Amino acid sequence: MRAPAARVARPGRSRQSAWIHRRDRRGLWFVVPFLVAFLLFMIAPLGYAIYTSLYTSRIIGGTVFSGGANYTTTLQSGAFWSGTERVIIYAAIQIPVMLAIAFFFATIFDLGVAKWGRLFRTIFFIPFAVPAVVGAVMWAFLLEPQFGPFVHAANGIGLHNVNFFSSNLMLPSIIVIVIWEWTGYNMVILYTALKSVPRDVVEAAILDDTPLWKIIVRVKLPLVRPAIVLLVFLNLIGALQLFTEPLILQYFQTSAISVNYTPVLYIYNTGIAGAQYNLAAAAAVVLGLVIVVISVGSLAFRRSRGGVS
Amino acid sequence: MSPATTVESHSQNAQAPGESPSRRGWWLRGAGGGGRRGRGRRRAADDGVPEDVIPIEMYGLKRGTTTVLTVVCALFALFTLAPIAWIVINSTKTQANIFETFGFWFARPFALFHNFALLGQNVDGYGTYIQWLGNTALYAVLGGGGATALAAFAGYGFARFSFRGSRSLFYLVIAALLVPISAITLPLYLTYAKVHLINSIWGMILPSMVSPVGVYLMRVFVEVSVPRELIDAARLDGASELRIFFRLALPLMVPGLMTVLLLSVVGVWNNYFLPLIIFSQNRLYPLTVGIGLWAQRAQNSGNAELFPMVVIGGLVTIIPLVALFLVLQRYWRSGLLLGSIAN
Repeated sequence: MRAPAARVARPGRSRQSAWIHRRDRRGLWFVVPFLVAFLLFMIAPLGYAIYTSLYTSRIIGGTVFSGGANYTTTLQSGAFWSGTERVIIYAAIQIPVMLAIAFFFATIFDLGVAKWGRLFRTIFFIPFAVPAVVGAVMWAFLLEPQFGPFVHAANGIGLHNVNFFSSNLMLPSIIVIVIWEWTGYNMVILYTALKSVPRDVVEAAILDDTPLWKIIVRVKLPLVRPAIVLLVFLNLIGALQLFTEPLILQYFQTSAISVNYTPVLYIYNTGIAGAQYNLAAAAAVVLGLVIVVISVGSLAFRRSRGGVS
Repeated sequence: MSPATTVESHSQNAQAPGESPSRRGWWLRGAGGGGRRGRGRRRAADDGVPEDVIPIEMYGLKRGTTTVLTVVCALFALFTLAPIAWIVINSTKTQANIFETFGFWFARPFALFHNFALLGQNVDGYGTYIQWLGNTALYAVLGGGGATALAAFAGYGFARFSFRGSRSLFYLVIAALLVPISAITLPLYLTYAKVHLINSIWGMILPSMVSPVGVYLMRVFVEVSVPRELIDAARLDGASELRIFFRLALPLMVPGLMTVLLLSVVGVWNNYFLPLIIFSQNRLYPLTVGIGLWAQRAQNSGNAELFPMVVIGGLVTIIPLVALFLVLQRYWRSGLLLGSIAN
């Protein structure tokens, strides 16, 4: 809408700014290749999903426009919401626990108070290079109720009849697996953030006889808050899309994981196995919106409460 | 995030693209002795430089604390390495021994080479591991390489030109960071069904080239490591924009490119959901889908002979990536670029 005004204004510019303008316009060509791919493989599918979600395929009568019917079905689906509720609970436990562990180790390495910090940091990062499929397969073997070594270990310390694949322990088991996969990555980012805390700030606090825990909580923690907010945000988006780990564990004969265990599993089973494309498209749109609302909401909440911009 | 803080944090990155500030300090101070000098005991003590780490006595800590905290680190390292150790050990076992012997120790017979040879065969008629490995490498190289190239061009374009709409376009890319990948994947499948990209390798490779995070990281990186004055000077000399990009800017962008490449290659290598739904022919599968299928068939279809293949297949899948990370340590270790989203 603003374009005509800009066009009118342009002839009044000096020759130099016209040159800069022509030059800057060439910058568009650097961006175009990405934009084309971005439009074709991100925006267009999203648009098509929204379009598809407004139609319904019937055995008799073909595909007809059905307005919000698929959305009503999704919003009223107990299976979709129970999965959503589960991933929210999962995120509420997994993210704080993992970030606490990551921050603890990042602090240790930043202070240099443990030996072989460099080696440990490399080791902790290794799971990031392991595909979630392989990670889930390894942990499935380790936690398997009949022969898994962890069950034997539990027996050994007097905990009998532990079943990591029971419906009570399934979610905690998944949390352990994901913590194993992602703690190192989070730790590296927090470590870098801690490293950039100016040295003189810390030294001043030491000269004031501030105890170490206070330096960490009152000086360092507030300064790395932006990094923590970002990690909460990234982990939240990932956690709400939980899919690979439960799907692989489901292969290992666990009745604890239903076909609708998480919202993405619901979409997968509705759309691919059930071939209800229109309904699955609506569910994908709803899930996308839920994730955007929760992640942006958490960001806004942290900002307003933290007062650190 | 105010503009001021953004600029400030970027200039921090400018100090040492790809390397931690402390290491750079060490580098400058130790310049007299050549690059390799510090690889001895001094560096091995800890990653940082002795003079950059505040001595722990200053915090009022005792030496004993170091021992306790080292033990805590060792325990977490044990947790981290346990599955890796398990998969290494069990890749040497027969199917029966995987289930019947202690998981964390070796057993006879030593079946590593036998298991390894199975990776070249189509054991149950559902596909050959070696073919999946080739597919994964192809998807990762083309998808990850393409993502890095597109991100390098776009990041440079956004950072160093202000054409009409450049701001709003950039914000659109940032907004895309919010879109959950799984919300895109099913729509992609539906779109592919219309345009015949189901069971096409391009259906896997092309969307892998779209990396909004990569564009963001490259923009930040160009902002701090490719000076405007340098570009303007080259322009006055009459160099074309493409020449300036390839000859001047690109060499300065290498550390950023490596990080984006690393992240995108890992992203494609580990991708499961997209290939799972767009490929129905097993000759096109990447490793993740193939191993997932084997795990499922081994459990549910009574093909128990697939278990050792799941194990050794998993091991061979992670070796290239772990090796890549160890070789390219300096690009992720400092985490500067990973964390620059945070600043």
